[in-house]
This record gives sequence, C-alpha cells and structure tokens, in this order.
Amino acid sequence: MNTLRMEFQKIKRKKIALTICALVSVQFAWLLWSGSRPDEDARLQGWIETLYSLPLMNVIMMPTIMSVLASRLADVEHKGNTYKLLNTLRRPGALYHAKVICGLLFILAVCAAQFIFVIALGYTRGYAGHPEWKYYAAAFVLNLACCLSLYLLQLLLSMLFFNQMIPLVAGLGGSMLGLILMYVKMYSFLPWGGFLSAAQARMDWNPDTRIIRFYYRAYSPVELCAVFMIFVWIVVFYTAGRILFSRKEV
Amino acid sequence: MRTSFIRAVKAESLKLKRSPVWLAFFALPIISAFFGTMNYKLNMEVLKAEWYSLWSQHTIFLCYLFMPALIGTYCSYLWRLERTRHNWNSFLTAPVPISCLYLSKLTQAVRGAILGNLWIFFLFYISGKLAGIRSGFPPETLEWFLCGTVGAVVVCCVQLLLSLVIRSFAIPIGIALAGGVFGLFMTNHDYGMNYPYSIYCLGMRANNPNMEISLSALIVNSVGYIIVFAALSVFYLRRHEIAAN
Repeated sequence: MNTLRMEFQKIKRKKIALTICALVSVQFAWLLWSGSRPDEDARLQGWIETLYSLPLMNVIMMPTIMSVLASRLADVEHKGNTYKLLNTLRRPGALYHAKVICGLLFILAVCAAQFIFVIALGYTRGYAGHPEWKYYAAAFVLNLACCLSLYLLQLLLSMLFFNQMIPLVAGLGGSMLGLILMYVKMYSFLPWGGFLSAAQARMDWNPDTRIIRFYYRAYSPVELCAVFMIFVWIVVFYTAGRILFSRKEV
Repeated sequence: MRTSFIRAVKAESLKLKRSPVWLAFFALPIISAFFGTMNYKLNMEVLKAEWYSLWSQHTIFLCYLFMPALIGTYCSYLWRLERTRHNWNSFLTAPVPISCLYLSKLTQAVRGAILGNLWIFFLFYISGKLAGIRSGFPPETLEWFLCGTVGAVVVCCVQLLLSLVIRSFAIPIGIALAGGVFGLFMTNHDYGMNYPYSIYCLGMRANNPNMEISLSALIVNSVGYIIVFAALSVFYLRRHEIAAN
C-alpha cells in the first residue's frame, strides 16, 4: 500500500490523468461526430451499434494510449535512475506491482468513463429501449482486460528500454496492426486485436439493399479461444514483466 | 550565421549517430505496405485503378493516423537528447545563435520525414511490381512527394514546438495521434487545408489520388504555419529554457 501511495506521489503534477483524459476525449469527439443526427433506424439499433463501434475505436487508439500511460509511469524511474535505490528499501517486485496497480486504476477509470459516456450519449440521442446490461457488462470486462494486457506489454517495454522511443513506436505499431486486423477478421489472437474479439456486436451489410444490421454476437469456439487468449496475454505479460523487472531492480 | 548553422547540423547528426531512431520510419510503412498490398490483391475486382488504388490502400491510414505520430516520436527524441543529464546547459550555451540551434533540430526532423516519405514511395513501387501492376508508374507521384514533404515540414514544426514545451516524451506523441484522428474530421468538413496535421495527408493525396487540391493554398498555409511555429519555438527557447535550467 505504501509503495502504491508512493507511485501516486511520484506522478504528482505530471498531469498523467489530464493526458489520458485528453486522448480519451478524442474518442468521445469521434463518437459525437459519427452519429450526430441519428435517423429512426439508427435509434432502433443504437445500443447494439455502440457495442460494435466502441471496440473499433479502441483497437485504433488504445495501444498508443496505453503506451503513453506506461511510458509516463516507467520513465520516472529511468530519469531518476532509481531501480537500485528502490530495491534497497523494499522487496524486489513490489515496485512492479505498484506500477501495475497504479496503471490498472487509470485503466479502470478510462473504461468506466467510456461506458458512462456511451450510455449517456445513447439516452441523450433517444436510442430505443435500454442497453442490454448483460452484453454491456461483458463488453466492459473484456475491454478492461484488453487494455490491461496492452498496458502490461507496454510497461514491460518501457521498463526494459531507457529510450522511450522504442515502446512508443511499438504502441503505434500496435495501433496500426489493430487497425489492419480489423479488416481481416472480427477476432484475433494477437494482443492488439483483443478488442475485436471482445466486441459483443457484429455487423451485417447487405450490398444489394445497402442496409446495415447490427446483432449481438454468438461466439463460435474459435472466437471464444480468441477471447480466452486475452487473459493468456495478461498472464504472459504479467509474468514476463515481473521476472524481468525484478532482475532489473537487482 | 551560415557556418554556425552547418556546425549545428553536424553536431545534431553526431548526436543521432547509431541511435535507433530510424527504426520508427522503417517499420510502420512496411506494415502498412504489406497489408495495403494484400487488401488490394484481395479486392482487385473493386479496386480497378491499379497504381492509384494501391496508393490509397498504402497510405490512407499511415498518412492520416500514424505519420504525424511518427514525426512526433522523432521530434520528442531530438529534444530528449538535450533533456537527459545536463545537456540543456551545453546546448544553450553553445557559441551558436539560438535560431541556428532550432533550425538544426528542424533540419534533422525534416530529413527524417523526407527519408520516411522516400521509403513509403519505394515500398509503393516495389509492392506495385510484386502485385503485378503492368501500367506505367504514375508521374504524379513526384508532385505527391513534394506536396507531402511540405506538409511533413509543417508537422515537424508543430511537433518540435510541442516536444519543446512539454517535457514528457510520450505526451506530444499522443497529441500527434489525436491530431491525426481530428485531421480526418477536418478533412471531411473541407477544413483540411487549414489544419496543420491534414496538410500532409492532402499533399500526399492519401485519401484520394485523383483529388484536385489548390497548390497555392497548400504552399501559403504551410509556409504560414512553418513561420509561426518556428518563431514560437525560437521565442520559447530564448525566454524559458535557460531560466528553467
């Protein structure tokens, strides 16, 4: 607990929350712009469409947002060259846990803000009915898990490399890869494509009638494996990070 | 002044020697080219304009979303070199005018952007040949390259200022990504030419290779932005950084 409190003291006046807010605000602006004048059909499908469009935005932006967050949290130690010093004060790995929990709290806040925003937006625009809480809860949990897996990967890179350019380029590369994976399939086994597997809605576009229909997703066994893979990545990145970070501290 | 500038540029080149900064401009266009070509090959019945179709597949996402962030990464790195240890003191007390110091950084950033652009065009040519496009290489690409380079200089100026003012390495890159995303909105509403992050994409014709753009507007706006952001950066260097260290 003390280590976690220290983490928040270290990032005091670093405006990390403000930065993350600004980046997530771009997503909100995008959502506001994308369906600013919904017709009757859009209102009928609004709640499902939200569960389709939110993961697509996240797959593009979240790898970079997570790389920025991880870089900000890790760079404090690089700049101060504090690894050896901190290791003399507490057991190896405690600092890593503190950074993971600190990042997780930010991620939790980001995901909560996203869902509160889209639900408020839906009611403001007058979407028909109410959100399907079962699907929204699943989307929230999987969204959180995807962000966490990317954050752990980025934290690992940001801790390993003094030059923060490398993890940030990896984040940008992840964003690009996610965007491209979006055009391949609506699921992916790669960490950057986890948001696609997490999407609770699918889209069906009829090229003849040019009508788009959204529907709640019924997962196939392969898609379920892709969802499971998100949690596998969390375990892999967490374990790798813990081992490498503890060694780095020593 | 000229000798000072050349010396400053040489010093910057030395600082960047053996740094992995080129990796960023190398890796991302490859991903974009690979998947762009794949998408083109898979949808050849719809994408019939050969080189022009391939160009939009290669560049639309790269130019709108990622190139500003890549340039931002390069600019952040250039200032980070000065921020580590006590390099600021040596940098600002060098017997060279501040404007030359800034211009040397800008020269490096622009050089990186030009090399990145050349790499994009080289990948485009190779991918086209591998995809089996038989028609001649479009001559307009030279204009796209030149206009794109002018737009890239604008992004370099904006990002150099942001990375100078914001001490964090990561935040300016996040702003660049957000700026690129917002650029999509601005271009969609026909304000692209007035928005620094969109000028590059419009110059490169990333959205539509057949798009007609006003060259005079592109040049006037770009030169205007370059002068404003460069002047602000030099002003900031003169006023703030010495006091801060």
